[in-house]
Amino acid sequence: MPLLTGETVKQVMRDLYGYEVSGADADAIAHSAGAMLTLAAALGSIGLAGIEPPFGYPVLLAEAARLAKAAS
Amino acid sequence: MSIPFQELLEFDVATLSGKLRARDISPVELTEAYLGRIEQTDGALRAYITVTDTLARKAAKKAEAEIAAGKWRGPFHGIPIALKDLVYTKGIRTTGGSKILADFKPDYDATVWARLKRAGAVLLGKLNQHEFAYGITSSNPHWGIVRNPYALDRIPGGSSGGSAAAIVARSAAATIGTDTGGSIRIPAALCGCVGLKPTWSRVSRYGVIPLAYTLDHVGPIARTVRDAAMTLQVIAGADRNDSTSSRERVPDFSAGLDRDISGMRIGVIRELDYGLSDDVAPSFNAALETLRSLGAIVDHVTIPSLPLAAIMNGLITWAEALEIHEDWMRTRPNDYGDDVRRILEIGMMAPATSYIRAQRARARTLAEAIAVLADRDVLVAPASAIVAPKIGTTQILEAREDGVDVVAAILRFTQPFNSTGQPVIAVPTGLSPDGLPVAMQVIGRPFGEPEVIRAAAAYERARGALPPPPEIG
Repeated sequence: MPLLTGETVKQVMRDLYGYEVSGADADAIAHSAGAMLTLAAALGSIGLAGIEPPFGYPVLLAEAARLAKAAS
Repeated sequence: MSIPFQELLEFDVATLSGKLRARDISPVELTEAYLGRIEQTDGALRAYITVTDTLARKAAKKAEAEIAAGKWRGPFHGIPIALKDLVYTKGIRTTGGSKILADFKPDYDATVWARLKRAGAVLLGKLNQHEFAYGITSSNPHWGIVRNPYALDRIPGGSSGGSAAAIVARSAAATIGTDTGGSIRIPAALCGCVGLKPTWSRVSRYGVIPLAYTLDHVGPIARTVRDAAMTLQVIAGADRNDSTSSRERVPDFSAGLDRDISGMRIGVIRELDYGLSDDVAPSFNAALETLRSLGAIVDHVTIPSLPLAAIMNGLITWAEALEIHEDWMRTRPNDYGDDVRRILEIGMMAPATSYIRAQRARARTLAEAIAVLADRDVLVAPASAIVAPKIGTTQILEAREDGVDVVAAILRFTQPFNSTGQPVIAVPTGLSPDGLPVAMQVIGRPFGEPEVIRAAAAYERARGALPPPPEIG
């Protein structure tokens, strides 16, 4: 399990999001997030080499065209 | 024009449509029957956040005049429907089930509502849900706890809990829900109605408050498979306002409704055929026997990475939901309910690498699913390991005597198909010994809704009508 502690959670939330949580809440968040991130590590085991993320250029192009049309 | 209100409420959309067109019933009378039913039941159910009675009456009068003049718009002309409160309705409060958007009135219609409105549907109101669709109980701290029509002390499931409760309580003829991890199928399954999550991109998401852009689906919750197919027919298809909407041809979703399934090849997903409660397992096994008795060829298949697809779904939702809610989390954290605020806080710990890896991994699971569907027409799985839990339950105890998280006992069956984007229908398989609904999922190839609908309709016909819920109100 990743070494995610309540202190780390408090610091990340404060520094990245300007968000404050109590010590007890930070511990609970660390527990839940740590468990999920451990499971996330297993994703690499199913063979991801060569797999592209599903973010295609056609969608980017279509979205840009839609925005351009709306602006004109 | 003399059919009793109670009888009107029992007709499905397909039947109502024929009677409206033939002018055997009036849209005005039908709308009054539904508004009366909402009045009768919603104090107990809390399925609605907003009832648009004045607008509904006006729309019903317009529909009546048009039909009388021979201007029939199609099967939804004069049909009273309701929308999950994530769906933008111009000038009508759209809260997303939140306090944050309690007074928000959009200045345009979501495409899904624009299409239903153009088809002549009458909007009864906006439906209660889990706050911002981020949860499966629909125990909403701002707009009331939605209750299951079969047992008012139990959850209806979520996040589209109001949509399913309204269908089963007969307080809407058809409804729209959304599904990011199971939010159409779970409430349909726990309430005893039909929920259809189409292929991702089949239905426009324009004007629907997002939870997770790459996992959100919009679809019908309805009384019957036929009604779900008819609703999908209206809302499906490319939309220039949604760049991700598919240009895939929209087939006739009702074409296979009355066909048999003799010779149809159906795979039971091994990874989801375990850990079922005693309420669910017998019903699912009986459903498989029914499919065999109809001539289907049923065997087990394996999709090895499927359990990880639920993890993919969770990681992606963490990141995308937080990106959507980040500003409000900074400025109005105390305006969220405790559970939704907590899961958004957890999302703050999600590294970008996990998000990208989860997105890439989706292709692996979908590839495995497509491979098993190469020589099968559809797949089936339970919709949940358990029946609707009591409101407030967080853990259940199973035979092996360790606590099983309620959310996990439900979401592991539904989340994988948001990751793969496949079409899935949830159809009831009966009631448990305690009288609570049980359901299975029928899963198809991408854009294979017609096969899914055909299999579910044949099963539904063979199953027969479900016993109705106890009288409400």
